[in-house]
Amino acid sequence: MKISVNTEIAITYLSSRKKQTVVAALGVMFGISMFIFMQSLMKGTNDYFEKMSFTSTPHIRLYNETKVADNHMLVSFLKDQSEKILVNPKQLNQSQGITNPYGIIDIIRRNKQVAAVTPQVTGNVIYTSGSVELPGNVAGVQIDEEDKMFDIQSNMVSGNLHDLNRVHNSILIGKGIADKLSLHTGDNITVRSGNGSMLIMRVVGIFSTTIKAVDETKSYANITTVQSLMGKDRSYVTDIKVNVTDYNNAPSVARQIEAITGYKAEDWVKANEQLKAGFKVRAVILNSVIGVILLVAGFGIYNILNMTIYEKIKEIAILKAQGFSGKAVTSIFLQQAVMIGLIGGVVGVTFGFLLTLMVSKIYIGAGTLKYLPMSFYGPHYFQALSFGILTTIAAGFFPARKAAKVDPVTIIRG
Amino acid sequence: MSNNLALRATGITKYFHDPVTMQVLKSINMQVDKGEFVSIVGKSGCGKSTLLYVLSTMDTDYEGTLEINGQKTTGLSQNQLARIRNESIGFVFQFHYLLPDFSCLKNVMIPALRLGKLSYKEAEEAAYEKLKMFGVEEQALKKAGKLSGGQQQRVAIARAIVNNPAIIMGDEPTGNLDSKNTGIVFDLFRQLSQEYKQTIITVTHDNDFAKRSDRIIEMADGEIISQHASGK
Repeated sequence: MKISVNTEIAITYLSSRKKQTVVAALGVMFGISMFIFMQSLMKGTNDYFEKMSFTSTPHIRLYNETKVADNHMLVSFLKDQSEKILVNPKQLNQSQGITNPYGIIDIIRRNKQVAAVTPQVTGNVIYTSGSVELPGNVAGVQIDEEDKMFDIQSNMVSGNLHDLNRVHNSILIGKGIADKLSLHTGDNITVRSGNGSMLIMRVVGIFSTTIKAVDETKSYANITTVQSLMGKDRSYVTDIKVNVTDYNNAPSVARQIEAITGYKAEDWVKANEQLKAGFKVRAVILNSVIGVILLVAGFGIYNILNMTIYEKIKEIAILKAQGFSGKAVTSIFLQQAVMIGLIGGVVGVTFGFLLTLMVSKIYIGAGTLKYLPMSFYGPHYFQALSFGILTTIAAGFFPARKAAKVDPVTIIRG
Repeated sequence: MSNNLALRATGITKYFHDPVTMQVLKSINMQVDKGEFVSIVGKSGCGKSTLLYVLSTMDTDYEGTLEINGQKTTGLSQNQLARIRNESIGFVFQFHYLLPDFSCLKNVMIPALRLGKLSYKEAEEAAYEKLKMFGVEEQALKKAGKLSGGQQQRVAIARAIVNNPAIIMGDEPTGNLDSKNTGIVFDLFRQLSQEYKQTIITVTHDNDFAKRSDRIIEMADGEIISQHASGK
């Protein structure tokens, strides 16, 4: 390989002052490895929380929003110019359910981005066992679909969730309910709905989500069981839950579904706004920390190159006397910056990876979180390397330009 | 006639502005033929070094016109001038100014590599040949800082001629050397001038040196007061 004379001079300058080169490269290395480490930690954590949120929230939830009466009836009835005002409007008394749910499910399935659709009936109930009563809610679901969406199997502590399909009037209850009512798999539980109807159900499984509020209130039963418990027919569905192939597209798919069906489609981003806010705040903290680290590394390089230029000012003058143009001199010093950046970058990427790997082995053991969630995401490494090199180029630019402006006559004549 | 000229300066006038404005060169006209060995002499402060740096194209803050090898250099950009210096002018200073981090061979090679007319291998050979010419080939791989003063100056002269420049310019090339080394450097210049028909312009304090050149230009107060062939 033919290397240019500028490169050769740059390399010689760097290697003849190894200590300074190493110090400068260390600065870049720390910047880059911290970048990778923090990005991995943040992405890992964000991914974890996103995944966690999908264990209870679908990507999109379609439901019938209770509406407040408006003046549209008045407007269409009294076709005149007068202003129509509805005084003290009330909530409309209409069915909580979705009309023609299975037709709507068919329509939703036609959307190519939709991965899974499942209907649900939710009802507020009171669990009774012996003399103890406990309020809560029961979700009437198709358990196989539900398991596909939310991986309920992984939360099961006893029993078998598929028994929900096999055993008549069966129920899966949260661990909190089981503890409070002292129930085990195989026991009976009395479930009373808001309209007064009552059902004695067989506990076929107990699950634990580690979220106390859920474990103490929630239960799953077959959709038909809940429909009859609520005193409704088979077409009564309160929610339709939709998962899409890429959850980042959920908001746009939700808008499409809303437009087609006319029901409220709430995507997971809306449902978890505080989660998204957390992501944003963390991103700001992270970026400012990385920014500061890279800035400090940049100043390190700036300083070292500046010092080199002061020390080498006679040599720069002599190079210019021998016919090195300002451009060539700039290239010599800029190349030194880039080399420092590359050395620091490559070592930094390796070190960042090792650090991430090490930290991912730290045991946390809280809730369902066993180890620190670290993500190993290729683009982070690429970003880190390019940011690091950009910083070094920016830091090297000013000293290099200064070197280019050295006036050989003044320097040589003293 | 003009194609036999290595350098022509017309009406070179220059001012220093710091601390007070003062005219250092007063409309200097001079010509140097190809293969001529010219010494510029004069007292300290007469402007002879200033003139040399103007002739060298490094100092561009002057009035008048300068032609090197028939090409007008006045008004060219710094990058164009750098190219001309690289190709057509070799420098020898009072102090050797070798790059201490590089070997002597590399020091000599750098201008050749910069010019880019030779491959790396050829540049290496050319540089070694020049070192050999001046009897310092043994030092080729040593760092420039490890050599004696005389050896360093010889390497510096080798560096000045590696691109076979049209003109070699010397600013007190023997000013920093003892008499023995001064003698060696004298002989080198003489040899370059006679055997290789090299154009040489040097500024010197040393009258013996000047006497051995082809022509002596004497300056005082920014003007050329006399030009005469030396009595060699």
